[in-house]
Amino acid sequence: MEDLKKMEGTIIDLVEQLDEEGVISLASQALDAGIQPLRLLELIDEGMNRVGQLYESKEYFIADLIMAGLIFKDVLKLEKMAAHFQRSYSKRIGKILIGTVKGDIHDIGKEIFRSMAEANGFEVIDIGVDVPKELFVSRVVENKPDILGLSGVLTNTIEAMREVVEAITRAGLRDSVRIIAGGNHLTEDACRFIGADSYANDASSGVKRCRDWIGSAGGKEVRADD
Amino acid sequence: MTDVLALSQERTQLFHDLIDGRVPKRVPISAAFAHEFAIQYAGRDLTEAQWDTDALEPIFEKTCQDFYSDLLPVSAFRLPSFYKILGSRNFVMGSNGFIQHPEVEGLALEDYDAFIASPFDCIVERVLPKLYSNLDTDSTTKSMVMAKAFKAYTDEMANLGRIYGNLIQKSGYGYVNFYSGFCEAPFDIISDQLRGFKNISIDVRRVPDKVEAAAEAATPLMIKMGTPPNPSPYNATFIPLHMAPYLRGKDFERLYWPSFKKTVEGLKANGMRSFLFVENDWMRFIDYLAELPEGTIMCFEYGDPKLVKEKLGKKHIIGGFYPVSLLKTGTKQQCIDKAKELIDVLAPGGGYYFSFDKVIITLDSANVENTKAVLDYVAENTNY
Repeated sequence: MEDLKKMEGTIIDLVEQLDEEGVISLASQALDAGIQPLRLLELIDEGMNRVGQLYESKEYFIADLIMAGLIFKDVLKLEKMAAHFQRSYSKRIGKILIGTVKGDIHDIGKEIFRSMAEANGFEVIDIGVDVPKELFVSRVVENKPDILGLSGVLTNTIEAMREVVEAITRAGLRDSVRIIAGGNHLTEDACRFIGADSYANDASSGVKRCRDWIGSAGGKEVRADD
Repeated sequence: MTDVLALSQERTQLFHDLIDGRVPKRVPISAAFAHEFAIQYAGRDLTEAQWDTDALEPIFEKTCQDFYSDLLPVSAFRLPSFYKILGSRNFVMGSNGFIQHPEVEGLALEDYDAFIASPFDCIVERVLPKLYSNLDTDSTTKSMVMAKAFKAYTDEMANLGRIYGNLIQKSGYGYVNFYSGFCEAPFDIISDQLRGFKNISIDVRRVPDKVEAAAEAATPLMIKMGTPPNPSPYNATFIPLHMAPYLRGKDFERLYWPSFKKTVEGLKANGMRSFLFVENDWMRFIDYLAELPEGTIMCFEYGDPKLVKEKLGKKHIIGGFYPVSLLKTGTKQQCIDKAKELIDVLAPGGGYYFSFDKVIITLDSANVENTKAVLDYVAENTNY
């Protein structure tokens, strides 16, 4: 028992240090020693929170967040974890629909956001790159997301993002979905111009904003994969 | 002497003064628009016009006529003809016709050692067939594809060279070229073209020794690539910087900086100064930038202009910082005020030229009237 406690602390530390091999090896040992998959997930979560804090204090950077996301996925792939979480419904805190707006084929920012949002308990529906506004509208109707994420790298995406927001408004959907724009070039002025509810210059702050929104809405639970 | 020639000499002088460390008559201006912007601004369809470089001169001329700049403000890098012939995966057209660089893996993880042993051979034999699908075939077909693509490339570049020369003469621009050569920082070429953003981020953690050796191995190639046949002290080699702001300080220090510094110093030894597009926010690394050879030109995207002026202003040539996003969303007065604010910080004592924080890539990236107003304001109000 004492050993398991100590192991738990070490797992959190190893996640924080982004020691991939260390985390996997100790997580496997802990599962063999009888730790509950849900408890292990909490520990990994705690480690991820610390990584997030190090990111905010500018000791870690995007490359480190990508590594953290990878470790999270590695742990979920461990046999006992996969078996457990496949059988039970995982609780999702909200649904995000994301896509890169028309004219832009970049997907890396969207990919990083997606994996971080999933690690934070969101169900994420990714509708791809160079997405026309009509497709955003029809997929919002179809999937009823809590949040719509518009991604873009190129400077001209400000215009394309505004067109999506206008199309969502014209379709009478604006009040049913919160909209966040993501891109390194965005500013508060650009966000106002687009008509989004918020914007983020990186994946981490975008996910944080989405969490805040869901938190303030009372945090409904959505069943995923059913 | 004709008026246009006199104008050209005056503008050349502004930049020669800037480069030689004298205070110029006024703040020199280098506006930069991509050919995609120029095509759309001339009312033409990008999806068509970019295929016919023969016809680009009047199209570029319209941008030259309407937007103030002391140097030729239009340039084209990515054209569809040769990328199409190659079946390019690393430069791909979006639905609006704009060619972009998506995330690609040109070098497999297991090919690091081959790259480190011989970067050029590895690029030719293993990387190019992954990046260009039409090179992923038998050697006869591959040779034909490569020959056709190179012919297309040299034809396009010859057309552009002729157009640039004509426009510089017609519009009286200065004879200074910041794009006379091109290369990347070794770590950046390994990231952007070889491993991809996501892979390199993981490699930095999992196989840092290989990343370090690969950056080291790529350095002589980058110096060779960035050295034009006719180096000139008044021209520069363009190096767009990418990955550093995404790295931790100690990874930057070990994996990014040494080979990049060697590249800039190697170019200098070959008679070329570097023109760096300092993308994103490099303020964490400003003391490193201060180590680069005197007279290195740096166009900043984000960061603290005051700090840059203080740390680099006496040794290097600074431009940028003017947010293109404001040109899109601000009022005319806000846009002019921003120019004034930046010039008050950056211009005193010289060593500064006015430019936007990035190239204006398409017509919908900026409000045209705001853009004109800012350039005119700087041209008319910044005498020393």
